[in-house]
Formats: sequence, C-alpha cells, structure tokens
Amino acid sequence: MNPKTLEQTRLFTQMVAQKQGWALNPEASFYETLVAGLMTNFNRYGYFLCPCRDSDGSREADKNAICPCVWAKLDVPEFGNCYCALYLSKDKLSSGSAPAAIPDRRYEA
Amino acid sequence: MNLKELPLVEKPGTEQTRDIVVYALSTCGFCKRALAFLEEKGFAYRYIYVDQLPIETKNEIKKILKERFNENVAFPFAVIDDKEHLVGFIQPDWVRTLGLKEGE
Repeated sequence: MNPKTLEQTRLFTQMVAQKQGWALNPEASFYETLVAGLMTNFNRYGYFLCPCRDSDGSREADKNAICPCVWAKLDVPEFGNCYCALYLSKDKLSSGSAPAAIPDRRYEA
Repeated sequence: MNLKELPLVEKPGTEQTRDIVVYALSTCGFCKRALAFLEEKGFAYRYIYVDQLPIETKNEIKKILKERFNENVAFPFAVIDDKEHLVGFIQPDWVRTLGLKEGE
C-alpha cells in the first residue's frame, strides 16, 4: 500500500465535497488538522477512517465510518456539518456561522 | 485493566481544583479544540490519545467507560473528578460542567 500524502488527502476531501455537493470547512487550521488525521488513518489502517472516530479493529467493523461516513449524509443536511466538521452544507458555509460539535450516530440503536 | 494505570500525559495549569482526564484521538479536530480550551482556561488536566494504543487496551478503555457512565464512547470523552463526564466538545457543556461562567 502506498502511503497517502497531505496533498493527496486534500484532493480526496475536495472530490468528496464536490461529489456530495458539500463545502469544506473554511477554517484553515481546523481543516488541516482533519486532513492530517485522515492521512494518518489511511496510512495506519489502509482506508480513510473518519479522523474523529476510533477504529473498531477491522475494515468490516469500520465500514460505515470510512470517509465520507454513512451518517454524514444525514448530519450535513440536518446540522449543517458532519460529525467531524470536515464537510459543511453550502447553506452553512454561506451563513458564516461556525460549525459545531454534534451527536455521534455511530452506536445509536 | 485499571484506568488509573494508563500512561496519561500530564498538562500543568494554574486551575487545579478539578481532576480532568480526557480520552482523545490524535487525529480529531474537536479533540484538539477541547484540549486547547482547557489550556486556555488554565486547567491542569491529563489526556491520552486512545487511537495510539493497542486495540486490546483501547477496547477495554471503551468498555469500562461505557459501563461506568452508561454512554457510548465518542471523542473527546472527558471524566471530571472521577464522577462526571462529557462527550464531544460542545463548549457550553464544558463551561457548565467545569463551573465556568457563561462567556468565559
């Protein structure tokens, strides 16, 4: 497995945002923390595990938490950002309000 | 396993009235923000990056925290004075639980 670079990881997030119709977090330092976290996770596990969630031990166990996680598709429209606040809705971005921490749906029944 | 035996990183601070332990991920933006918040407010605290631990150890930590606080573990997960807990960095909750005034 070839390790990912920060630049490749940034590109990945840009492609996800474009495909999903989302925006990226405009706060540069916060965004870069998440990009570095995603890169670390790829180089550690072999897949882009959400940087704000821990691995449950295997790709199969983590499959729903691989970026973009399955819950982001619910969270971005509902809260204006995903759990990590890597991705924002375009409305949230244009409102200028800061993305906030939201509940994690991962282990919800 | 005993949580008290974990190799926590100690951060000094002038505010030492609360015993604060933060279970965090090294990769997570809100974890970083939570630790910066404690630092900015002058709290002494201890933390550990759970993602950097062996899988058996971190699974045991998550199991203990879940049983103890009856809450699914997400990060950051803070334990205050060994009895209260905070999940996620929702700043108003941290302000209230740590006894800060609104706007502090």
